Amino acid sequence: MIQDLVVYAVFIGYAIGVLMTFGLVLTWVERKQAAIMSDRIGANRAYLRIPFTDVRLVWWGLFHGIADGLKMILKEDFKPRTYDWYAYAVAPWVAFTPVLLVFAVIPFGGTLAPAKLVPALADWFGDRTYPMQIARLDAGLLIVFAFGGMTIIGAMLAGWSSSNKFSLLGALRAGSQMISYELVLGLTVLGLILIYGTVDLDDIVRQQSGIVLGFLPAWGVFLQPFAATLFMAAAIAENKRIPFDLPEAESELIAGYFTEYSAMKMGLFMFAEFIEIAIIGALFTTLFLGGYNLPYMNDSGFVFPGGHVVALPYAAVVVIQLVTFLVKVFLMCSFQILVRWSLPRFRYDQVLRFAWKFMLPLALANLTVTAVAVWLLHAVHA
Amino acid sequence: MIERLLANLDTLLLYLFAACAFVSAALMIVLAQPMRVALALISTMVFLGGIYGLLGVHFIAAFQVLIYVGAVMVFMVYAIMLLDVRDPAYQRRYSRYLVPGILAGVAFFAALAWGLAREFADVAEGGPAAGGAFGIQQFAAAFLNEYWLHFELTSVLLVAAVVAALAVINVSRRDRG
Repeated sequence: MIQDLVVYAVFIGYAIGVLMTFGLVLTWVERKQAAIMSDRIGANRAYLRIPFTDVRLVWWGLFHGIADGLKMILKEDFKPRTYDWYAYAVAPWVAFTPVLLVFAVIPFGGTLAPAKLVPALADWFGDRTYPMQIARLDAGLLIVFAFGGMTIIGAMLAGWSSSNKFSLLGALRAGSQMISYELVLGLTVLGLILIYGTVDLDDIVRQQSGIVLGFLPAWGVFLQPFAATLFMAAAIAENKRIPFDLPEAESELIAGYFTEYSAMKMGLFMFAEFIEIAIIGALFTTLFLGGYNLPYMNDSGFVFPGGHVVALPYAAVVVIQLVTFLVKVFLMCSFQILVRWSLPRFRYDQVLRFAWKFMLPLALANLTVTAVAVWLLHAVHA
Repeated sequence: MIERLLANLDTLLLYLFAACAFVSAALMIVLAQPMRVALALISTMVFLGGIYGLLGVHFIAAFQVLIYVGAVMVFMVYAIMLLDVRDPAYQRRYSRYLVPGILAGVAFFAALAWGLAREFADVAEGGPAAGGAFGIQQFAAAFLNEYWLHFELTSVLLVAAVVAALAVINVSRRDRG
């Protein structure tokens, strides 16, 4: 009992730590990557001075995130005269909390057996094992979408309760856009569910450590390349980032639905957006890139094509899985930032037309083809 | 101490969620502002989802939040967002149907209590009890084998409702010229 409590407290601490670190680091990555892509020097002004010396630690501008945080905490907490102070106060939390909760069902490692990892704890833990995931639920993917849908309400509440026409327009745009792309997002994932036959995310990851066609790892991105592309595009639109950032288009709507928010309340919206980048990266990794496993890897070691087996010690497997997951997520985050600084912004009617007349039919076509293929394969095997 | 707390954690959380769901449901009836009513309804749905999760049917909890909050309430909030907040109708907390409403509510609760009492008697005698784990696999099999016709009929009904809504909008547009 107490052992479970300790292990899950560690898991939850790890998850929150990882997400907060990603949120903080991504603000810096976004600036630095933009600078590199547009051939500028970029974020390089904030520094820490070692006390009583003249040594300034610039570290490629890594401390800009801390400067941002300080500024948000210390700025004036402006409150507009609104007709619903309650909705105004609660909106940033409604936008922020579900984003964190989504991570609860994402597996960030294989199986943890504390007794095998730290022999000193063997007596206390016995032969208990834990999947490295905060909540292993059979409804995994459904929970992701359930919480994903709640963030829409946060955005709409914020825009509505600010007593500002720009905010209201931003909220309208955010609402329509997120509803449209959530539909596409759900449809693209259905093909994967057909292939794997489950919505349990840990099960999906385990099925991806096999081999298809004799040499390719059975990753979702090889089985459903089309769905992977659509998923990424819809996810970026769901997160309201360029090229889909119409709800907060600066030249038209100031800052959209969070125009009237200042200080740390605005910080929550920004933080939610940056953490959602990491969440999208984690979801994409779990569904399409083999999750926490390296290619051909499972909980006991590597099984290369041709039946070549390399067994690994348990501790090495745990460390490799944790690191692999973080590296994959970081690469996917970097890819999203790459997209942000490469593409120009859509017009608003184009955003909605893109969702309903281009991506939705494509997602449906992908689903139909997948269903027929899965049915044929079953018929052949039977 | 902690061991005992952990052993009874499910029951404690169940009471907590039930109390929160009850309070937000009551608030939903009493509040006057449409957006606050919507927020109270959302929190009722979320707490009900929590209760389903505690009962071990996680997918029902997910559906509860996904469908009622993620779909139904999102559209309601979207519509409420476009209402005029200075509408004088919000000033009055109760409509003129207050007394008939309370009477109907009392009658409804009486019927509910009577039905529940009978159910409890059944359960005490060893009547219909939850048998085994009801996972998403069993749900999917039952859904697609036994209830697919009901589901398809619902979708036909929804399409009819959409057509009706479009017709109503067109009629009111034509009236305005």
